[in-house]
Amino acid sequence: MFQNRAEALALALPAAVFVAVVFLAPVLILLSEGFHIAPGGWTLSAYAGFFSEALNQTVFLRTLRLGVEVTAVSAVIGYVAAFAIVNLPPKSKGRMVGLVVLPLMISPVARTYAWIVILGRTGIVNRVVQGLGLSSEPLRLLFSETAVFIGLLQLFLPLMILSLISALENMPKDAIPAARVLGANWFQVFWKVVLPLTREGLVVGGTLVFTGSLTAYITPAILGGSKVLMLETLLYQRISVSNDYVSASVIAFILIVMSFGANLVLKRLATARSRA
Amino acid sequence: MKRLLLASATLLVLSSLGAQAEERTLTISVYAFAQDDYKKLVYDPFEAKCGCKLVVETGNSVERLAKMQENKANPVVDMAVISMADALQASRAGLIDKIDTSKLSNFNKLYDLAKDPNGDGMSVGYTFYATSIAYRPDKMKIDSWTDLLKPEYVGHVAWPNVTTNQGPPALYMLGLALGKNTPDLAAPIAAVGEHKSDIVTFYEKSSQLVQLMQQEEIWAAPIGRFSWAGFTKLDVPVAWAAPKEGQTGGMNVMVVTKGSKNQDLALQFMDFWLSTEAQTALAMKLVDSPANKEVKLPDDVANNLTYGEDTAKSLKLIPSAVALDQRNGWVKEWNDKVGQ
Repeated sequence: MFQNRAEALALALPAAVFVAVVFLAPVLILLSEGFHIAPGGWTLSAYAGFFSEALNQTVFLRTLRLGVEVTAVSAVIGYVAAFAIVNLPPKSKGRMVGLVVLPLMISPVARTYAWIVILGRTGIVNRVVQGLGLSSEPLRLLFSETAVFIGLLQLFLPLMILSLISALENMPKDAIPAARVLGANWFQVFWKVVLPLTREGLVVGGTLVFTGSLTAYITPAILGGSKVLMLETLLYQRISVSNDYVSASVIAFILIVMSFGANLVLKRLATARSRA
Repeated sequence: MKRLLLASATLLVLSSLGAQAEERTLTISVYAFAQDDYKKLVYDPFEAKCGCKLVVETGNSVERLAKMQENKANPVVDMAVISMADALQASRAGLIDKIDTSKLSNFNKLYDLAKDPNGDGMSVGYTFYATSIAYRPDKMKIDSWTDLLKPEYVGHVAWPNVTTNQGPPALYMLGLALGKNTPDLAAPIAAVGEHKSDIVTFYEKSSQLVQLMQQEEIWAAPIGRFSWAGFTKLDVPVAWAAPKEGQTGGMNVMVVTKGSKNQDLALQFMDFWLSTEAQTALAMKLVDSPANKEVKLPDDVANNLTYGEDTAKSLKLIPSAVALDQRNGWVKEWNDKVGQ
């Protein structure tokens, strides 16, 4: 395509410079805050200090747990939905994909506020629960981990479904019938055939959902509030209330490491499955 | 012809540059709240009066103070409006100057508590607000701040997070009600901590409370009076409590940046903002409660604001020095007892 490597690099240079100046440099400057506090030079004391506080440990573990839970559940629902959509006739498939994409066109703020109405004491869920006689008192669903989990799942599930639709469409059409003919049950078909062949889609979808769950601010802030602090809401608090850029830098670095870590773990899992 | 055009264009540019050089500019730093009203009622009339240009910078207190600190050697802001405690912090950091009140013709019209809120001559109050409890009178009765923690009520209460402006004052009043009034707020924080799983939410923004009240998610919440108007529009009954321990509140103040080259203009602007006309206009729009005691308001407006001499005298404000010195301790104690 290009006559030589130098030409290709020259063409890539403007974009590379732009990314370096407006993205990499500010991020590196922010992250450096967490590594040098002592006049003597570089230190990890900010990280040690951060993790020595019980609240920060709780928030870190909660963020990690919710990220994993949202990713796992969205993968399960995503596979089922993607399977159903892929096997539809072309016209219906287009409509269903449109329905999956539709929520992505609506502001996360509006989508999240809708959950306040749905999950409230006088909301739809409580009316159904009480109407069915399952509870005499309204359930306390808002401002809980459950509410944050539901909000994040609804926010990022479309990304998982779209990634898996793409992966399933690229899978050989006769792979599943062949496995069935050879005596595999549906679980074996999924575990030994579908999962290895769609691992790229799962890695992409999983990374998008996990990193999205880690870095979402509006949903945990509205549905969880201070009762369910997560790393990103804690980060906002440290900057906007305490003006504590060192803690903010530490949290930002932890979030970046978690995002990269999730991508590596998902790739490893997918590779391990494909070798199995 | 070309030369003539070039000469005309040059003259035009030079004359406009000259005009710009003559026009004085005042840079102010304010809260982002109600800027359309401020522009119409304060900024535009002042610009017309002084023949100068106002540059308005907005943001929260932390951002704006950080910017003032960064530009300490070469100030970019001439005048700022901040909270009492932030004014003391700015004063301690050497960011602001003493205010020459002899240049403020409206100074003597202010309520006494607004004249020198921190007692250091570095700030002048332009608005204050009461903090009490908005509650559902058909569901509960509020005689004391401790009523919020009663078993039958606590599951329907939203409490302000300690990091909000309403958090420490509400804790302060709870401490008074518990008979354990210490600057570290340890007793009220512990009391809230004991009920942390019952309390509906520890709110960060009072704007979300109106919806929660409408949905019957909450029956009560300590709020600043400036948030009250939204509750009056609900189709459920909401009342403003008068607990026996009294009401607390807060005050916003005006400060002049140290080293500003436009201090006289800043003082003129402050004086304009403190005038009876400007304070009345802002009050009528329910933007700010007036600190100017000459402001007369109709009952329907006054009921939605913190208004009048008696109200001003009755407010139990946390001294700025206490708020400033204890702030980090409060947050730490809160995180230990409530945040877990």
